[in-house]
Amino acid sequence: MRFPSRLLAANMAFALLLWAALVVLVAVVGAVIAINGSLTESAWEKAAQVPRWYALFVGVALVREYLPMYIAHGQTRRQFGAQGAVTVALFAPFLALLLVLGYLLETGIYALAGLEQALGQVHLFTDPGQLPVVFTEYLVEFLAWIVAGAFMGAGFYRWREGGVFTIPVGVGLVLLAESTVGPGLRLPFLLGRLGRLGLDLPKSPAVALAIGLAVLLAGLALTWSIIRDVPLRNRWS
Amino acid sequence: MRVDVEDLVVTYGEVTALDRLSFSLEGGKIYGLLGRNGSGKTTLLSVLAAFRKESSGTVRIDGEPVFENEGLTSRVSLIRDAGETTDLGTAEDALYFAEWLRPHWDADYARSLMDLFGLTRKMSVKGMSKGMRSALGVVIGLAGRAPLTMFDESYLGMDPPARYAFYDALLADYMEHPRTIILSTHLIEEVSSLFEEVVIIGRGRLVVHEETQTLLSRGTAVTGPAERVDAFTDGLTVLGGTSLGSTKSAMVYGEIDEARRGRAAEAGLELGPIAMQDLFIHLTGDAR
Repeated sequence: MRFPSRLLAANMAFALLLWAALVVLVAVVGAVIAINGSLTESAWEKAAQVPRWYALFVGVALVREYLPMYIAHGQTRRQFGAQGAVTVALFAPFLALLLVLGYLLETGIYALAGLEQALGQVHLFTDPGQLPVVFTEYLVEFLAWIVAGAFMGAGFYRWREGGVFTIPVGVGLVLLAESTVGPGLRLPFLLGRLGRLGLDLPKSPAVALAIGLAVLLAGLALTWSIIRDVPLRNRWS
Repeated sequence: MRVDVEDLVVTYGEVTALDRLSFSLEGGKIYGLLGRNGSGKTTLLSVLAAFRKESSGTVRIDGEPVFENEGLTSRVSLIRDAGETTDLGTAEDALYFAEWLRPHWDADYARSLMDLFGLTRKMSVKGMSKGMRSALGVVIGLAGRAPLTMFDESYLGMDPPARYAFYDALLADYMEHPRTIILSTHLIEEVSSLFEEVVIIGRGRLVVHEETQTLLSRGTAVTGPAERVDAFTDGLTVLGGTSLGSTKSAMVYGEIDEARRGRAAEAGLELGPIAMQDLFIHLTGDAR
């Protein structure tokens, strides 16, 4: 199998730009709050809830944009499936690494400013300095969100509005993974009580990694079951 | 590349888009694929390019089934106006992936085509006019140099000068790099001079598959004094006609034998070719 270098590079370059923009935004917002004297927690921790939505978008775009492009360029669904799987498996740790870098940057800035980098939410880690655990938490989270996006994106691409039936499964994949690194879905502004749904799972990096891997494999298998013979959309003429 | 289609059926729910379609193309030529809206052209090309699977029947390219056959699909290219290969951000992004995924990609040729159509690499595809997007599709289709290259009305959005530049570029590149090219179009008169063979489908079925010259020879324009034209064409299949004063020109479908040609000459009538579009209208006019 050919290594998906350009698919990865394109997504990584864009993610890097978004990460830089997020860093600037968090720095500006954090500075404004600090000037008012009320910055008592990690600002990056709050901002770190946004990238998972980007991860979901990447999963959707993988099927909706790149699958048709691959096929139109003479690649098979099998070739795309393999390259897409590798892309997800490598892009999620890349995103997690960017999140870790964000915490590291914040640690330095807070230390210079004499601020405490306290955490306001339940995590797998108890201190932003636990870098391997921080990396593990976000890795598991991004794996789940990307693969859930790919699965739901495949459902909507194939069945249009019928894809709505893939949402419960996609949410289930995310819920399972999120419950290994925190209280659960953590979607405070969405879905009401469902947004706070969680499973009571043991919180350890090993369990999180094992379940994250299982979610990844299950999500990829489910996505493959939809795209393995999916027709490209066209206007009938 | 040789194309063999046998009893091909494609259905969309209750709708049958292709209905036991069969034909063969020996390859190495420029083929015209003609048909009215809804005749099944896009569906046929989509099956040939493995964009979708047939419901039944067989499609073979160089003797092998094409769907999920990576040895074959990498040698097949279909450019549609749906924009699968172009709608990725900037023109540069589209070329970036085309170069990577197309085994026969010619970057220099792509660059010269970009110049020809007035495209720049930094242009956002979503911000392009329809004509520019079509031109970008044409660049990717031609520079991909796939042994089986198909364009599904993907150049219709281009303005006439750009379309004629495309026809010239296509012909020049085909002469330099012979391959099988299929053009699906409604602009029959513009493109018909490129076709070596023509496949016409209607309601998902084959209407005609012939060499262009053979097809054109089926139609004749009979011109002369109105009453003599009427007398000559009596009993023949007349597709239509025009009159100017006492002079009339009638389009006749079907072979005109030597005896009839002799009678036409005696009557002072001129016999000439008719346009492919007129034949197309006749052949597909009752297709629904």
